[in-house]
Amino acid sequence: MNILVFAEVIENEVQEITYELVGKANQLADKVVTLAVGEADVNSINSDVIQVEGESSPLNYVVVKKVFEELKPSAVFFGNTLAGIDVAAQFAADMALPIATMVTDVSVDGDGFVATSVAYGGKVMVDLALKSPAVFVVNRGSFPAEDGKGSAKSVKKLDIEIEDGIEFAGYIKPEVEDIDISKADIVVSVGRGIGDEANIELAEELAEVLGGVVSGSRPVVDSGWLPKTRQVGRSGKTVAGKLYLALGISGATEHIEGVKAKNVIAVNIDRNAPIFRVSRCGAVADVLELVPLLIERIKEVKGE
Amino acid sequence: MKICAILRVVPDLVEDIEINEEELIPFAYIANERDEHAVEEALILKEKAGGTVDVLGVVDEDTAGDIDDALAMAYAKGADNLIKAILSRKTYRRYEVAKALAGFLKDKNYDVIIPGIQAIDAFAGTLGGMLARCMRIPYIGGAIEIEAQDGALSVKKELGGGLLGEYRVSLPAVVGVVSAERPLKFVPFARLKKAMKEAKVEEVDVEVPEVEGVKVTRYYEPPKPEITLLEGEPEEIADKLVEVLREVSVL
Ligand SMILES: Cc1cc2nc3c(=O)[nH]c(=O)nc-3n(C[C@H](O)[C@H](O)[C@H](O)COP(=O)(O)OP(=O)(O)OC[C@H]3O[C@@H](n4cnc5c(N)ncnc54)[C@H](O)[C@@H]3O)c2cc1C
Repeated sequence: MNILVFAEVIENEVQEITYELVGKANQLADKVVTLAVGEADVNSINSDVIQVEGESSPLNYVVVKKVFEELKPSAVFFGNTLAGIDVAAQFAADMALPIATMVTDVSVDGDGFVATSVAYGGKVMVDLALKSPAVFVVNRGSFPAEDGKGSAKSVKKLDIEIEDGIEFAGYIKPEVEDIDISKADIVVSVGRGIGDEANIELAEELAEVLGGVVSGSRPVVDSGWLPKTRQVGRSGKTVAGKLYLALGISGATEHIEGVKAKNVIAVNIDRNAPIFRVSRCGAVADVLELVPLLIERIKEVKGE
Repeated sequence: MKICAILRVVPDLVEDIEINEEELIPFAYIANERDEHAVEEALILKEKAGGTVDVLGVVDEDTAGDIDDALAMAYAKGADNLIKAILSRKTYRRYEVAKALAGFLKDKNYDVIIPGIQAIDAFAGTLGGMLARCMRIPYIGGAIEIEAQDGALSVKKELGGGLLGEYRVSLPAVVGVVSAERPLKFVPFARLKKAMKEAKVEEVDVEVPEVEGVKVTRYYEPPKPEITLLEGEPEEIADKLVEVLREVSVL
C-alpha cells in the first residue's frame, strides 16, 4: 500500500506536523511519498520525497491531484492546519474522495480505513469507516514526530503548473509586543468563561501575584479584550513554560495545540470540559468566585 | 459587490449532548461561531466596497427554526436579504452539502461567497473548499481580512503561530473566514426584536445528493480525565490550588 503525505511547508520550512504524518504513514504503508511545495530542506523527511516549486497556497490542491494521479496511493494525509485544510478539502471534493477531518488516529481495516475524529470542541469522538482511496486531515500532536524523521530515501523535483485565480503576495510577520507569552514561565490564561472584559483585571491580578503574564483564547482576543499577540493556540502562540493556568477555557483542539507548558491547571464550571484531560490539576468552580479567593490565599502565603 | 454569507447552526456546547453509538442528540442549537464572523466580515466588506449582503442560512428540517434568531441578528446588523436553505436530509458530510448548495448558488451571480472556515461538527470535510470545487471557482480559507482591490480581492489569511499570508484572489470566489477583522457588532435587544418582526426570510428546499465512501461507525464520549477534580467549597479549592502551586514550585 502507498500513502501520499502532503508536507506542511511554511516560509520554506518543513513544519513538525509533517514528520508526525510521515511516521504514521510509515507504520501503515509499504511505500510513503511526501509531497513538499516550496524550497524547504526536505532531507530529514523519512520517506521518498517529491518537491515542487511554489508557495503555500490553497491552489496546491492541483499539485496534489497531479501527484495523486501518478502514484495512485490508497490514502493522502494532510495536517489539520490553516494551510493544509484548504488544500485537503478542495482536493477531496475535486476528486470526489471520502475525507475525514479533525483526525486523531487512522488504521487499516480490510480494503478501507477507520479514522477517529475528535469533534464538538473535544466533547465527542467519532469513528469513521472510509473506502480507499481516502483523505485524512490529522490533528497536530496525534502521532510522534520522531518516527517521521530520518533521511529522505529519494528527492525528485517536479515542475507542476497551477491554475490562476490566487496569487501569493507575501508573508506578514506577527506583531511583536513587549510581553512574549511564548517565553513566559508562568501564564494565566482566560477564556470565554471569564464572562466580561472587566473581569480580565482579575486574571491580571492573579498573574501579578504569581509573577506571570496574561494570555487568552480566541474568543477573548476576537472580542478585543486582549491583543492578538496574547492568543494561545493554532493561530496564535505556543506556551511552553512551567505553568499554564486556564481560567474558563473549554480546551478545544485548536487551543490545546498551543499549550506545551509543563503543568496545566484548569478552572472550569463544567466538569466535562475537555481541558481537564490535559491538566495536571483541575478545579470545578466559577472563576469569578474562585480567583479572588485564590489571589488572597497566595498573598497570605507570600506574606504580603 | 454581490456578497453571500453562509450561516449554519451547531449544537450548543454549553448544554449537554446526549451521545449514543448511532447518533448525537443535542438539546439546543446556536449559530456557528465562525459563521457569525463570516456574516460580520461580509458586512464589513459591504461597508468598504459597496454592494449587498445576502445571508444564506443552511438548516435541515430539525433545525429550521433554530436559525431564525441568527438570521434576524444579521438583518439587524445590515444584511439585505435573508434566505433559508432547508436541506432535504441531515448529513455530516460536507461534500454532500457543498454539492447541494452549489446547485442552488450556481446561477445567483455572487461575487463572493463567505462561509465560516469550520464548524464544531466538521469531522467529514469542511464546507468552503468543497463548495468552491463544486462551483469551480477559487477558494481561500483562514481569512481574517478581506479587501476589494481592482476587481479582485486582497485576503489576509492566517497560517498559524501569528503568521499571515497575503493573497490576491480573483472573483468570483469562496472565502472562508476564521475571524472578522473587528469584534462582532453588539446589537441592542430592542433592535434585534424589531428585526425579528421585520425580517423577511425566503425559504428554499434544497435536495441533498447521497455520495458513498464515508460512514460513521460510532459516536462515543472521550476518555475521562485521569486526574481527580477538585470540587466543593471555593475556599477549600483555593487552599488545595495553593498546595499544587507549591508542588510545581511556582510558590
Ligand atoms: C482554524 C481555527 C483556528 C483556531 N485557532 C484558535 C487559537 O489559536 N486559539 C484558540 O483559543 N482558539 C482557536 N480556535 C477556536 C477554538 O475552536 C475554540 O472555539 C476556542 O478555543 C474556544 O475558546 P474558549 O475555550 O475560551 O471558549 P468556549 O469553548 O466557549 O469555553 C468557555 C468555557 O468556559 C467555561 N465557563 C463558563 N463560565 C464559567 C465560569 N464562570 N467559571 C469557570 N468556567 C466557566 C465553560 O464551561 C466552557 O468550558 C480556532 C478555530 C479554528 C476553526
